[in-house]
Amino acid sequence: MIEEGRALFLQIAASVEDAILDGSLAEDSRAPSTNELAAFYRINPATAAKGVSMLVEKNVLVKRRGIGMFVAPGARAQLLDERRATFAARFIDPLLAEARALGLGPDDLSRLVRDRAAASTTEGTER
Amino acid sequence: MTVIEVDRLTKRYRETVALDDVTVSFDENIIYGLLGRNGAGKTTLMSILTAQNFASAGAVRVFGEDPYENAHVLSRICFVREGQRYPDDARPPHAFRMARLFFPNWSQELADELVTAFQLPMKTRIKKLSRGQLSAVGVIIGLASRAEITFFDEPYLGLDAVARQIFYDRLLEDYAEHPRTVILSSHLIDEVANLIERVVVIDGGRILLDEETDAVRDRAATVVGDSDAVEAFVRGREVIHRESLGRVASVTVLGTLTDDDRRALAASGVEVGPVSLQQLIVRLTQHRADQSGRDAAEGALR
Amino acid sequence: MNRTLKVVRMQFVNRYTFVWMPLIILGASWAMSVVIFALIPYDGAKYGGGSQAPIWYFFALGIVALSYSFPFSQALSITRREFFLGTMLAALVTSLILGIVFVVGGAIEQATRGWGVNGYFFYLDWVWRSGPFAAGLFYASIGLLLFLLGFWGATVYRRFGPLGLTVALVAIGVALIALIWVITQVQAWPQVGAWMAGLDVPALTGVILLVTIVVGAGSFATLRRAVPA
Repeated sequence: MIEEGRALFLQIAASVEDAILDGSLAEDSRAPSTNELAAFYRINPATAAKGVSMLVEKNVLVKRRGIGMFVAPGARAQLLDERRATFAARFIDPLLAEARALGLGPDDLSRLVRDRAAASTTEGTER
Repeated sequence: MTVIEVDRLTKRYRETVALDDVTVSFDENIIYGLLGRNGAGKTTLMSILTAQNFASAGAVRVFGEDPYENAHVLSRICFVREGQRYPDDARPPHAFRMARLFFPNWSQELADELVTAFQLPMKTRIKKLSRGQLSAVGVIIGLASRAEITFFDEPYLGLDAVARQIFYDRLLEDYAEHPRTVILSSHLIDEVANLIERVVVIDGGRILLDEETDAVRDRAATVVGDSDAVEAFVRGREVIHRESLGRVASVTVLGTLTDDDRRALAASGVEVGPVSLQQLIVRLTQHRADQSGRDAAEGALR
Repeated sequence: MNRTLKVVRMQFVNRYTFVWMPLIILGASWAMSVVIFALIPYDGAKYGGGSQAPIWYFFALGIVALSYSFPFSQALSITRREFFLGTMLAALVTSLILGIVFVVGGAIEQATRGWGVNGYFFYLDWVWRSGPFAAGLFYASIGLLLFLLGFWGATVYRRFGPLGLTVALVAIGVALIALIWVITQVQAWPQVGAWMAGLDVPALTGVILLVTIVVGAGSFATLRRAVPA
């Protein structure tokens, strides 16, 4: 989903990365082309191209001459590392801030996290 | 490569200055959004670039040459304006046949596809077409011309949302396969925001902004929360809009927020919201109008 | 193909304006004239003003050519010079067709002795005095002149507005009156009269073409800075 207030090419790159992370875009498989991305999101092809270049620069995508753009081997592992590094800033800090506003301390948070994790696993095994 | 250079262009009418010392340039194969209010000078600029109107001062160069009476340059440009007049008694096929004579890159295949897509009645006289159908004729000529520089002046007036989406989709599709320079003027900013690679904002005959769209997308933010906390944050920053409801203040500030900024805001319980391109440009032009009003008032008081 | 020639083609894309309308007007006024001639109980040759109708149409055509095809020509990125020359050529073609129609019509008229009703629509004695070819050119030149007068008026209106057009017409009127006054002052009327009477059809055609060229030059000069909106 395209959101306001954030550079489009970053969002395009992020959505491709998301697909790699959740496995729907496998390593060594063909990545969507610039025109395909532009058409899908209804955006300017140059913007889509910028997102793709960024991924190529990061070695997440690799260009195979004459064939097209492919997901680089090891991309998933690389992205996992990246996302884990920023996980705390992106998710934990806002969580802590909201918790503080509600008068919940770190111990309360830990308990909540454990309870919720257990509940979702049970649901999973019951199904 | 730069295809259009505008140097200190001024256009004066008897009582008004439509363009005031405008300097801007356009590079090839990029889709530009030329945005601004009605009467800001968009049409005037495009008319002068295509030699349909004349400058009062300053210079214009298209493909490195003066476009006036220059068939070599003009044959590579297409400008269908809002409210274009067509030959009396002509029907759409006549207009397309005439266009085909003069645009070297004309694609009849594309024109035919677009006629079907817009459901344009080919047997009706152009002067009897509805506003939307008339716009469709202009849009079809603009797209099928595949001219190296194509100007669209508020091309979708009268087109409903579905037809507008057809236009945007076809424009992107054809641009991807046949890159060219497109300058699209619009006041429906949010609709075209994702199409345009660069945005040029013109207000009161002056260029307010000339940047890559992506660079401007996070150029402002709206912070909402307790008015004390909000004021503390916005001190020293350029505020372009303020609203309040009781103790809650909503302030739009210019300037990209850093991660530190976001942490500080989260800590003080202030919410951050994005500012769409349309909101940003609206606020900027209002801000400029307020400022010049204030300057004028100050001048009067002095 | 040369872009000026393409403008000629452009003017004929919608054949209605430059071909069918003049022929329809011609046909309609001819038919009406013949009917009226047939109804008039007079034994000598009968003449009417019906044949003027298609010629006046050229005046309207000149106005329309500027008012409607000029703005569109600008959208097609045609230069003003290409538009002017191409449109003039198109008008020339149509005028020549008019001339041919009048000559052929005149020949038929003479052969049928006035369509059997002694009524003459195309054939005027004095016009044919220098032969059919000269007659054809004469009619063509009148058509062309009227086209250019309409075109000129519309161009001035486009560039300078209704006030500008009024001023121009008044100025021309004043100039003509001044010319008449001068001729009266030097008592040159006998000479002027003799010269006019001595003009045969080819010479008259020449004068008309001269005026046409002057009007054309004036139109082009005005058009060069005209704005299509």
